[in-house]
Amino acid sequence: MIELSNIVKAYQMGDVKVPVLNGIDLRIESGEFVAIMGPSGSGKTTLLNIIGCLDTIDQGEYKLSGKFVDTQDDAQMARVRSTHIGFVFQLFNLIPRISAERNVELPMIYANIPHQQRRERVRQALTKVGLTDRARHVPTQLSGGQQQRVAIARALVNHPDLLVADEPTGSLDSSTGREIMQMFRQLNEEGMTIIMVTHESDIAAYARRTVQLLDGRIQYDH
Amino acid sequence: MLNQFIFIVDRILQAFYALRDNRLRSVLSIIGIAVGIAAVMAVGTVSKGGSYLVFSELETFGLNSVWVFRDRRDKDPNRLVRQGSGLDNYDLLALQNCCDAIERLSPVVMSRGNRMVIQTSNRYSNAQLYGVNADYTDINNDKISQGRAFREYDIKRNRAVALIGPTVVKDLFGEYTSPVGQEIRIGLRRFTVIGVIEEKSRDFLASIGSAGGQDANNRILIPYKLFQQMRGDKSINFLHLKAITLDDAPRASDQVINFLERRNGKNYQYTSQTMSTYIKTAQRILDGVAMIGVVAASISLFVGGLGIMNIMSTSVLERTREIGLRKAIGASKNDILFQFLMEAIIISTIGGVIGLTLGSVVSMALASVTGFPLTPSLLVIVIALAVSIVVGIASGYLPARRASQLHPVEALRYE
Repeated sequence: MIELSNIVKAYQMGDVKVPVLNGIDLRIESGEFVAIMGPSGSGKTTLLNIIGCLDTIDQGEYKLSGKFVDTQDDAQMARVRSTHIGFVFQLFNLIPRISAERNVELPMIYANIPHQQRRERVRQALTKVGLTDRARHVPTQLSGGQQQRVAIARALVNHPDLLVADEPTGSLDSSTGREIMQMFRQLNEEGMTIIMVTHESDIAAYARRTVQLLDGRIQYDH
Repeated sequence: MLNQFIFIVDRILQAFYALRDNRLRSVLSIIGIAVGIAAVMAVGTVSKGGSYLVFSELETFGLNSVWVFRDRRDKDPNRLVRQGSGLDNYDLLALQNCCDAIERLSPVVMSRGNRMVIQTSNRYSNAQLYGVNADYTDINNDKISQGRAFREYDIKRNRAVALIGPTVVKDLFGEYTSPVGQEIRIGLRRFTVIGVIEEKSRDFLASIGSAGGQDANNRILIPYKLFQQMRGDKSINFLHLKAITLDDAPRASDQVINFLERRNGKNYQYTSQTMSTYIKTAQRILDGVAMIGVVAASISLFVGGLGIMNIMSTSVLERTREIGLRKAIGASKNDILFQFLMEAIIISTIGGVIGLTLGSVVSMALASVTGFPLTPSLLVIVIALAVSIVVGIASGYLPARRASQLHPVEALRYE
């Protein structure tokens, strides 16, 4: 489903170019649950952003569902993100003053999904994460775990092929983190492809495959 | 098509929610625009009121009026004819249907030398006497408030009938008698009053003095031939004519002057005055005043626009992470551009509507005080709204573009 070949990426920091990824070759099949690990600065978030079509690549090729992704084409990237990819972030990134419902609804607005269908899908997604009774609460009225579950509902609502999560448990206590991981596990068992960045090995243990990065290269993959 | 529309509405709603979240700030920038629009409208109202004032004064004489009279500058010292007005009944006859820019034409015959005594049994009037034809009241924009105007046969048969102004009514009849049908004596003849000329307000022109001089309300009109008989000659003091339109007035005056000079050119030269020259001068002054006002008001609108720009820039900065998030979940550059532009347009349009309401209330208050019809027209409303939308787009564009071009990864990382 995902084919990365020889991905090279560097960031411009003032005058110097800092290499981040130095030739990544990675293949992820549909239905996999992959944890990307590595020390800070190893390039794991950058790799995740590239897979999530949020960031551009300098060299190499990225094939998603059999099609090459032109990472320079902003409109195409937005379309891919909208229809194929769901994001979960460490800091949840909910829009603060609108209700859980409206946060979940947001991706569908950009995907031009009609109003009736949106309401139905919001209900489904919130049921899936067990938050139907909190639909009208704003994020500040929700606990961290609840906020992350709203974010997961938001990620799922457009029926993506791929769930991309950057340290999804990084802001949660360990028991809540385990709940979230249970939910990921469950989603994966239902067929969702999940790629997750983490630096905690007990979190990575929920995944079926671990890719270890070091200095922009894959150190091991098992 | 309907779906497209609904999707746009969904996106507009996103802008609304964002504004609602920042209520105080939104309200402040709305006020900025409202004041600007209200100021522009107030200026518009005042200048409209000014031109209404001037036009209503100028209408005293009929806007399309042209006066033609002998040019008394002696260009040739050997000219023999020094006396006379250079116009008589034969000229008048010849002028019938001479010129296509003329709608109506009336001779004006005035007293010469000693004024005739005007009286009822024991009351006297110092009114100005004018000998005219049946078209005169229309040319001079005189309305008849009681009785009737002249008709052709009054003039043709030299009937001893008179139209009198309100001051004459007061002087000769007091306030309690109806003058229509009463008799008055002018010189040695008795005239029957057949109508009263409606009062004319002349305050403005009288105050600036030009064309002032005589009191338009202290006039008596009688058939011109009868007046000539009483005076004992067949001359006409000047011609008062009405051009077909305001723009035809210069052409009408040229046509009459050329015609008369071809006819009497050996002896006389002619000149004219038109209302349109007065109107153009007045209009130029008013436009100048309005322009200054518009510039001043535009500055306040401009400041309002800067307010929006400032607020939108702050908002983009504050919501950088939100923008990154929106992009991550599928918003395109255009979606972000649209949302922020929409926020600016909503602010400026709401401001515009409030300013419009404010301005309209001021206009209507002014209208009820002055009696001028200053209700804002549909055109003014459309322009005010269009201006506010343009201000919104102009002031929102740069911040919105900056928002749309944020890189999602960097925006999400923004603290």
